[in-house]
Amino acid sequence: MLEIKNLHVKLADEDRVILNGLTLSVKAGEVHAIMGPNGSGKSTLSYVLSGREGYEVTEGSVTYKGEDLLAMTPSDRAARGVFLAFQYPIEIPGVATMQFLKVALNSQRKARGEKEMTTPDFMRLVKERAAKLNIGPEMLKRPVNVGFSGGEKKRAEILQMAVLEPALCVLDETDSGLDIDAMRVVADGVNSLRSPDRAMIVITHYQRLLDYIVPDHVHVLSRGRIVKSGGKSLALELEAKGYAEFESEAA
Amino acid sequence: MVVQKTVAELNYGLSLPHRKMEDWRWTDLRQLVDKPYPPRQTVVAAPKDVERLLKSSPFAKVAGSRLVFVNGHLSLENSETGLVQQSKGKILGVATQISTDEPVITMNAAFATDGARLKISGTTDTPIELLFLATNADARTIATRNVIEIEKGAAATLIETHLGEGTYLSNSVTEIRVGEGARLDRIKVELEAADAIHLAHTHTTLGKNTVFNDFTLTSGAKTNRQNGTVEFKGQGTEARVSGAYMLGGKQHADTRLLIDHQVPHCTSREIFKCVMDDNARGIFQGKVIVQRDAQKTDGKQSSHALLLSETAEFDAKPELEIFADDVVCGHGATSGDLNHDHLFYLMSRGIPPAEAKSLLIATFVGEAFDLIAHEGIKEALVKFSNKWLSQHRRAS
Repeated sequence: MLEIKNLHVKLADEDRVILNGLTLSVKAGEVHAIMGPNGSGKSTLSYVLSGREGYEVTEGSVTYKGEDLLAMTPSDRAARGVFLAFQYPIEIPGVATMQFLKVALNSQRKARGEKEMTTPDFMRLVKERAAKLNIGPEMLKRPVNVGFSGGEKKRAEILQMAVLEPALCVLDETDSGLDIDAMRVVADGVNSLRSPDRAMIVITHYQRLLDYIVPDHVHVLSRGRIVKSGGKSLALELEAKGYAEFESEAA
Repeated sequence: MVVQKTVAELNYGLSLPHRKMEDWRWTDLRQLVDKPYPPRQTVVAAPKDVERLLKSSPFAKVAGSRLVFVNGHLSLENSETGLVQQSKGKILGVATQISTDEPVITMNAAFATDGARLKISGTTDTPIELLFLATNADARTIATRNVIEIEKGAAATLIETHLGEGTYLSNSVTEIRVGEGARLDRIKVELEAADAIHLAHTHTTLGKNTVFNDFTLTSGAKTNRQNGTVEFKGQGTEARVSGAYMLGGKQHADTRLLIDHQVPHCTSREIFKCVMDDNARGIFQGKVIVQRDAQKTDGKQSSHALLLSETAEFDAKPELEIFADDVVCGHGATSGDLNHDHLFYLMSRGIPPAEAKSLLIATFVGEAFDLIAHEGIKEALVKFSNKWLSQHRRAS
């Protein structure tokens, strides 16, 4: 589904190189965890995959379902099934959550040549998905992420994912700022979306999220490249030893 | 220094305001009034032209009764007078108490041909519309003057709409008195022709325990200057003066507000949301005066501009003059382009760039529409704003 080859990325307006030859292959049905210390390039990877401005790819390629992902606009990527659950979801005052979700879903459907969803069907879909994430109607009435607690914001991200049904989910530090109960709700939401034709990249600093979202592969990111890959036991190893070994190795 | 008179000044004995006058520094009428624009011209409008303009009003289906002025004269056959007691065809210009050192008022006093004189008693939810139309003819001045009186305890919603075609200078002066315990919601929509000049002055005096909600949408005319004065004459009164600009091309709009707190225990709010595209230029000059006796005044004003192009410009001049010592007053002004984080978030969910921008712009001006109580009027404004946005839509 996703082939990242020798990806080099720098900040657009500075010389600082953030990704430095990253290679990763993700197949449909797989869950990949990317772990690494602060500043290793985890969030940059998520932004480059979703098309945020401010980054410049200097070398390498990203192929998604056989197409050049980097040539697509952010909205095209979304319409083709790429979804980023933000580490810090953006608050948009004045834009109602339901309206936002409906415009997003129907924009994607339109881009894919599908019929727009009717309002009653849409309401039913959102209510059903929201209930599973303990999201009540009063939260849906508020403007996008405005006044949401940290946990509510993360649940709202997963709700968007559940409604938009993407093929490739990138979760950026979805566990940050969550207590154990909130993390369980979020993880259950994510797990219910696991399917043979959907892939996930779970970016996290800590191992604890991976107790709930069990990955097929774990990669260690350090200084902009993957320095070690393994099974889920690698995450436990990192939890015990920390990242020091990899930082010196990469240096 | 000898200042050469403009053609309009020479021909009609006017004195046009210019940039050396502090209030007019951004809107030099000596330059902007580019032609003589002779006043009191008789223009007979073709019925089909009037009909087309009537149809283009955003409030065609909202108003309960409506007085239509065509080229500066009341047109009874196009009006629906139902609720309105009107004094037809009477020139009201000179019989006014408002000071005439304002150039717009001076010009109006000399040139006004007609206007509405409304006295509203009782309470009605159905909006009354004053609709001013200009049909395409030789460049000329069209001046009207209205006197609106909301009697003690009455409540009304009043729409004032300006529409037109061709080249003309529209001068509109409205005097409003809101009596004790009364409420007035006033919505003005300026959609003059692209080649028109719109000059306006609204002078409002508020009695005791009144509520005055004033909203102005400015989206027409090449040059627009609107003055507003609100005088607080009775305690316990609340006024909210808000507005939105939706400007493009080389449009120029300048609003000058004077909020004059003369008595204690009153509240005033000014909120302006201005969207400017292309080479448009918007100006907001808001002055709040709190007189010595006006203790416990609560006065706040803000203006926010959204610049959709690098060549659009916005100038804000907020002023506070406070002579009382126990008041809460403040002002704020912001200006900038769309928030890139907001845009990216919307796009990352599949909303294409042009739609994402439109959604954010609509939300920005929508905050000003939200201050309007009447749902039908609000809906008409949202519809207008969506139409404007679809004409100014672009991806980059």
